[in-house]
Amino acid sequence: MTAKTTTQPGKTTAQPGKTKAHPGKKPGPAVKRTGSGWVFPAVIVGIVIVGIVAVVLVAAGGGNSSSSSGGGAKNAVEVSAEVTTGGTALPRYTAGVKDTAVGMTAPTLGSVDFQGRNVEVGGATGSPYALAFLAHWCPHCQAEVPRLVSLARNGKIEGVDVVGVATGTSEANPNYPPSAWLAREDWPFGVLVDDGRFTAANEYGLSGYPFLVFVDANGKVVGRTSGEVAPEDLQKIFKSLAAGETPTMPGAGGSSSN
Amino acid sequence: MDHVDIANTFFTILTLLANAAVAVAFVLAVAALVSRSARRFAGHVVDVIGPSARLLAWFVAAVATMGSLYYSEIADFVPCRLCWFQRICMYPLAAILLVGLLLRDHRARWYAAPFVAVGIPLSLYHFLMEQGVLHESSACAATVPCAVPWFTELGYVTLAFMALSGFLLIGTLLVVDGLWERGAAAVEAHAEDLLSPDEAMGVPRGNHGGPHDDQLGADDEPGPPSALEVTT
Repeated sequence: MTAKTTTQPGKTTAQPGKTKAHPGKKPGPAVKRTGSGWVFPAVIVGIVIVGIVAVVLVAAGGGNSSSSSGGGAKNAVEVSAEVTTGGTALPRYTAGVKDTAVGMTAPTLGSVDFQGRNVEVGGATGSPYALAFLAHWCPHCQAEVPRLVSLARNGKIEGVDVVGVATGTSEANPNYPPSAWLAREDWPFGVLVDDGRFTAANEYGLSGYPFLVFVDANGKVVGRTSGEVAPEDLQKIFKSLAAGETPTMPGAGGSSSN
Repeated sequence: MDHVDIANTFFTILTLLANAAVAVAFVLAVAALVSRSARRFAGHVVDVIGPSARLLAWFVAAVATMGSLYYSEIADFVPCRLCWFQRICMYPLAAILLVGLLLRDHRARWYAAPFVAVGIPLSLYHFLMEQGVLHESSACAATVPCAVPWFTELGYVTLAFMALSGFLLIGTLLVVDGLWERGAAAVEAHAEDLLSPDEAMGVPRGNHGGPHDDQLGADDEPGPPSALEVTT
């Protein structure tokens, strides 16, 4: 405001009455302003028209709801009514910190699979196993599943039982339902369906998806990962797990799982 | 008829209109840099939109704020972490620009500018994350992941894209506001010079120019006088 007047020092003193010309004030001669008084009302009218168009489009069936994909197996159980738990829940996983769950006994989970058949996992089973907690909408899970499927197909997971845990399920999210997704991916392993409160995920201390928990033949947790794991790292883990050794978890596997 | 579907369609159309407006403004700005007639036309556009630009910018911020509140409070779409940062940038615009209008404070656009300047890259980052171009980390957060949009219309219009479009349109309108005000100030200065010819000699040429010559590339045409000078 004042900066402008100082650049033209003579002005204000020579014409004290002409304050309207002060560039700091809202300028714009009346002539210019009246010329576009229709702009804002036109925008309001335009918005009302857009609103009417939106209602008409949706009423005509054009409202493309992105969540109604469907296509799952008939009568598939996508969310379990209840997941029963046994044993001690594992602490919440934090990436980059020594995993205190290692050495703990994997808690048992009782639920159903997509077909509604009873499934129980956890504890000591006499052979090593891995739980893969997967959310259908999570792009990292969508990337990880084909890796696991491919490893299994190539015989790289022999000696280790893998069970997928369908969790984080929400009908409102993309790629629903999980049963259709895993069927599409030719998921060769068993599945345990989590409940609406994600009891299974919480019991194992899940903090991000995909979440893998590796358990030895004695039922002891040997490692957990959050986030995508590279195929070669997975292969190493499964190999040493099958051989009865303690696998080392990839350090970067769960970087900032949030 | 689901009200969320109506809202999605409504805001998607508004988003596309906002994109169109920004695209037109961008093309005009580029054309004005290279062509004199385009510069004149851009000047006319600024003359028409300019007086309402700040009001329109406030209106865009207000509609975006109401839409955001509708989605979180009525449609129950829980905002993710990045959504919150974008809200932090968008909501104050609805207040700042309104106060600026009421007080007729031409500097309101500068108070608003930081929020726009932060909001644009934020929402772009969020949008690219939703599209899978960028990754937050190798894992999806267990609660309200940023990478998974609540809905996607037309294959790409998400809430982050809507926010990006809103910020871009507000930014464009504030630029138009600035251009128009500079142009109008120049016209007034010129008119004033005419009223006081004894002072006209001392005033730099920049203040003599037409309403828009000075900001729309006058630097590359130092020789010929502006149209306004020719006619007077």
